[in-house]
Amino acid sequence: MVWVVIKVVVIFTWALVTVLYITLLERKESALIQDRIGANRAEVLGLRLNGLFQPFADALKMFFKEDYTPPFVDRPFYLAAPLLALIFALVPVGAIPVADSLNLGGKEFSLSVIGSNVGVVLVLSLLSLGIYGVILGGYGSKNKYGLVGGMRATAQVISYEVALGLSLVGVLLVFPSLNLNEIVHMQNRYVLGGWVPLWGIILQPLAAALFLIAGMAENKRVPFDLPEGESEIIGYFLEYSGMKFGMFFVADFVEVLLLAGLFTTFFLGGYNPPYLFQDGFHFPWGGTWLLSPVWIRLIQFITFNIKLWIMVWFLLLIRWTYPRYRFDQLMDLGWKSLIPLSIFNIIITSGVMAVIK
Amino acid sequence: MSKEEVRLFIGPQHPGVTGNMSVEVLLKGDTITWAKTHIGYLHRGFEKLMERRIYIKSFPLVCRICVPEPDTNEENFARGLEELAGIEIPERAKWIRTLVLELSRLQMFIMWYGGIAGSMGLSTPVQWGIGDRDYILDLFEELTGGRIYHIYIMPGGVRKDLPEGFEERVLKLMDIIEQRLPEYDEIIMENAVVQKRLKGLAKIPRDWVDEMGITGPVARACGFPYDVRKDHPYEAYPYLDFDVITEDGCDAWAMLLVRRREIDLSINLIRQIIEKMPKGEFLARLPNVLYWKIPPGETYVKSEATRGEFGYYMVSDGSDKPRRVHVNGPSFVHGITLLERLLVGQNIADVAPIMVSLQTCPPEMER
Repeated sequence: MVWVVIKVVVIFTWALVTVLYITLLERKESALIQDRIGANRAEVLGLRLNGLFQPFADALKMFFKEDYTPPFVDRPFYLAAPLLALIFALVPVGAIPVADSLNLGGKEFSLSVIGSNVGVVLVLSLLSLGIYGVILGGYGSKNKYGLVGGMRATAQVISYEVALGLSLVGVLLVFPSLNLNEIVHMQNRYVLGGWVPLWGIILQPLAAALFLIAGMAENKRVPFDLPEGESEIIGYFLEYSGMKFGMFFVADFVEVLLLAGLFTTFFLGGYNPPYLFQDGFHFPWGGTWLLSPVWIRLIQFITFNIKLWIMVWFLLLIRWTYPRYRFDQLMDLGWKSLIPLSIFNIIITSGVMAVIK
Repeated sequence: MSKEEVRLFIGPQHPGVTGNMSVEVLLKGDTITWAKTHIGYLHRGFEKLMERRIYIKSFPLVCRICVPEPDTNEENFARGLEELAGIEIPERAKWIRTLVLELSRLQMFIMWYGGIAGSMGLSTPVQWGIGDRDYILDLFEELTGGRIYHIYIMPGGVRKDLPEGFEERVLKLMDIIEQRLPEYDEIIMENAVVQKRLKGLAKIPRDWVDEMGITGPVARACGFPYDVRKDHPYEAYPYLDFDVITEDGCDAWAMLLVRRREIDLSINLIRQIIEKMPKGEFLARLPNVLYWKIPPGETYVKSEATRGEFGYYMVSDGSDKPRRVHVNGPSFVHGITLLERLLVGQNIADVAPIMVSLQTCPPEMER
């Protein structure tokens, strides 16, 4: 029990701090792209560190802003929406394996909060529940712009859910397990004289691309940010202010973390750096470097974070260099391109698997 | 309005609208079935105010008619006044005016080029555009003392001569901007999503151009080679060597191409002006402008603004104040008549790109 509480506290603190720094990365990266300097004024004890404290200043600002509820809203829905959005974004983060399970005294201790055997199904179902926050937010605000935003979000997320699930089927054919930790283990194999790791992105490149596109549409960011298109309909959170808006905002970035984490887990070999095995590094040029299990877990956690940040950086790069699709084009892309392609991927993958067997 | 439709006001405070105006639309799902523009949020009564002022005091007013592009208005007003009073302005003043006009056109088009991407949610070139425009504003500050409102063009010429070394700085800046432009092209023109959004958007039937009086880049995007700079040359334009830019698409993509080529043209023209600029006086001898009685008469002067043909109709009754000044801007046609018709049947997401493509300027619609 204590172990579970410690895990929950540590993992979710890690997740939220990572999310705070994703906001900083977004500000700094967009500044770099747009020839600006970016936030660098937040100061603690005379230290600025080029804006390293900015996320905490932002969070404080969100907390202390006036939390105004317009008189015309549908109160239960209006109040429930940000909570649902945040919860359903945050819970799946607990299922992502950040390091291998620890074997202490003959007992297995999973290092992720939800070390479930059906992790893939759990994550997908929780992801699709997240849409309730958006729908209820748009509907409960009793604002036409909000309603249009909520409507768009519903159609978009439901359509891309299909592509997201289908693209993962190919991965599950190659790595036949629903346990995320097992999927990571299965990617730790090497071919071509032990040099090239058999990561998901090497076995399933098409699925990786489809998963990334569908995932970006799923977490409603540019070029798929139609529910919050600021030059069109402002967004479903139009009537929210203060920390209620902050919760939508954080949920948005938690979804970025989630997408990057899932992509790392499915396609980039998860927490394992290349050539790291149960007892340490075994390099293909013959060298070995044996390590104790705790050190290995630490290296795995750091590796996971590095891969995660590379993915986050890539997602933000796309966000600042692409405009937004129009709604009918978005639906065309989802139903006419992504879903047929993912079905094609499933057929090819299962054909190849059958031949190999 | 049927039961399936939703009435929605886009504006006057909306990030996708190009200024203080609102568009009332009926939405059926995501599609606009009816549109009506509402202006009047920015009415400042300039035309009436000018009737109560002596001519020279109207210059700070005219340059506020369209905020990002004041010089066209100043030049038009000054030229109308000169025609009424029968003043001949020195040769160098004409060239300096043309230089100011082209610099102003260039800064407006650079800002627009980023803005069209911004209207589709791509905010990176917006920041680049505003940043690069700032270098031109720096030049304006050096030349006139003001960054946005210059009040530099005067009846009889210009207020001050060019500062020392100004020409070299302009040429240097043109090189810098020319180096920057491929970066814009890469993120805007070569972007698959931008092409997908703009190709075929806001398709204007060719016969609307004559029917409604559409001018400027919008008309040129429909293949009408009409450019006041070429067809009714003013100031130093007769001595400059350039071709009218036309495209055939008649849609938002063609308008984008026209404006992109206009940027190159402006840079080219600025280089020509600096090369050919004569020496000499920059201001004609004028009577005391505070007690300047203008002979009775009327005139219509026009010039090519970035958005289209900009005209001033001025009537004098022999006193020191104008009897009537009527300002005819292109945005009135583009932003009301054309916009209302174009929006019908479009997706609500396209309101902002269409408004930016037509380059509507709400302050100019209500003088």
